[in-house]
Amino acid sequence: MKQGLEKKRLKEDLSKKILSNFKKNKFNFTDLDLLIDTNLLTERSGEQFKKFTLTYKDIFGKEISLRPDLTVSTALKYIQEKKNKEEKYCYYGSAYRLDKEGDLKISDQIGCEIINSNNNKSENILINSILESLKKIKNLEVILGDVGLFKILVESLELPARWKLRLVKNFSRKEYFEDMLKRLETNYDLDQKTIKLDTKRLQDLEKLDQNILIGGRTVFDIVKRFNKKIKDPRDNYKGKKNVKIIRDFLNINTSINKAESTILSFFSKNKLNNLFIKSYLKKISRINKEIGKKYFINFRTNFGRNNDYYTGIVFLACVKKKSTIVELARGGEYNSLLRTLGYKRDISAIGGAINLNELINL
Amino acid sequence: MSKIKIGLPSKGRLKDESLAFLKSNNQEVVNSFGERNYFFNIKNNNEIDGIFLHAREIIERIYDGTLDIGISGLDLLKELPDFYSENVKIFKKLNFGFADLVVAIPKDWLDVQNMADLEEVSFEFREKYGRRMRVATKYPNLTESFFLSKGISQFRVVPSLGATESYPFTGSSELITDITSTGSTLKANNLRIINDGTILKSSACIFISKKIKKNNFLNFLK
Repeated sequence: MKQGLEKKRLKEDLSKKILSNFKKNKFNFTDLDLLIDTNLLTERSGEQFKKFTLTYKDIFGKEISLRPDLTVSTALKYIQEKKNKEEKYCYYGSAYRLDKEGDLKISDQIGCEIINSNNNKSENILINSILESLKKIKNLEVILGDVGLFKILVESLELPARWKLRLVKNFSRKEYFEDMLKRLETNYDLDQKTIKLDTKRLQDLEKLDQNILIGGRTVFDIVKRFNKKIKDPRDNYKGKKNVKIIRDFLNINTSINKAESTILSFFSKNKLNNLFIKSYLKKISRINKEIGKKYFINFRTNFGRNNDYYTGIVFLACVKKKSTIVELARGGEYNSLLRTLGYKRDISAIGGAINLNELINL
Repeated sequence: MSKIKIGLPSKGRLKDESLAFLKSNNQEVVNSFGERNYFFNIKNNNEIDGIFLHAREIIERIYDGTLDIGISGLDLLKELPDFYSENVKIFKKLNFGFADLVVAIPKDWLDVQNMADLEEVSFEFREKYGRRMRVATKYPNLTESFFLSKGISQFRVVPSLGATESYPFTGSSELITDITSTGSTLKANNLRIINDGTILKSSACIFISKKIKKNNFLNFLK
């Protein structure tokens, strides 16, 4: 284990080399803000996010957090600078998070992000740029996933819209997701007795001005959702069948060169509508063609669920040290993040970062 | 030998029922210092010094060692951070002060029956109004843990000091969580309890300090 000054020097040398690699690939260095308005984080990720961030109140009572993540900081930079074209950023800095015990963990990261690009090779450019800096590491393994595939799977299932929404929105919350699958299996959803009673009250509501607010919701929204819900039932059999399909799908674990055929045959075996899947898988095929020949890449449908802002490709570069996996770099696509942080619409974005703390300990 | 210090609720039904409970166990409370004085004694028991306090404060004072024994609500202990339970132990659950902490919504939200529905409505709020659904409560910690355990992450707690039932109709929140024993106050305020929205079943409890030594008074209360 390296100590003190040696560690610091090593970090500086490595960061210079990695940044020069990024700059060669036309990424522009940027200094990111250390502090983030806490409200921006909680508005997108929910109140529980505060538990992982070091937060304090300024003299005006506004809550501020030390940046827990450099991708969010980069996205905020793009918005603050009022950009509207492709930007390729690279950065070097620390992310600050509290662990489960409430202890502060500082991770030194060096990364790059491509925001608002129309280039369909931007995933390859980004992943290549990250992996290039790690290519000399022996036994480097790359794991690839695509959380967007899960969304396509769910869309192709015969499920009520409310269940599709729940499954997709909670995909990143593994424990709760499991609870949800159990609920779906056992059909714990609609109480027919209550529905009968409420249907009587519905007639009164329908007579009201539909724009009236009740508890912050319009009568129109309440009536619409109620009608949709009762016309959108399902039976036990389909719940069980769908849960099995979801579980089987999340068990797909194969080399990247077999990923496309495995997923296509999964869709066809389960008689799922695969109109979009073929074109969607082209992205994985492109990564396989260009990056798959240089690195061993494992494809897992269950991978990349740890972060709620990923929307598509997710990747991890790691090495096995004895029985533990040392995570050297990770990243992914986050096409909705900027809108949730205040940008006017969804835009394509992908980023990744190298964990310097782990890298220097190799 | 130092006296045992006991705290009792200073007002309301919880106070009356605590006094009745002690009396039924031959430990009658006497206001030796006058009706309006906060200190009291136990008839024919010189080992006890008593004080009437707010139910919430009783737990705080057992935690910091000012009190040895107290009667208060389970809900109030559970709302406090976990480390309180290290110093404040439940000696006995009592047969009064029953109340549930529940999630209540405007009764006309016909489309919402359970927490799963609420989860969907929370997404709707996020998408449609660009903000999180607001929950008014006097129990922010219990509410937050319960909502998260039910998969609802898109919400914001609005702390309330009283008249929580009015919040959804004044635009201060969309729904509430509150303590209720019969549900009649909620009903009178056009609110409805969600089917699986019981956060906690509470009752009055005898709480004791972790450091309390064995004493006869506790034997009387068993």
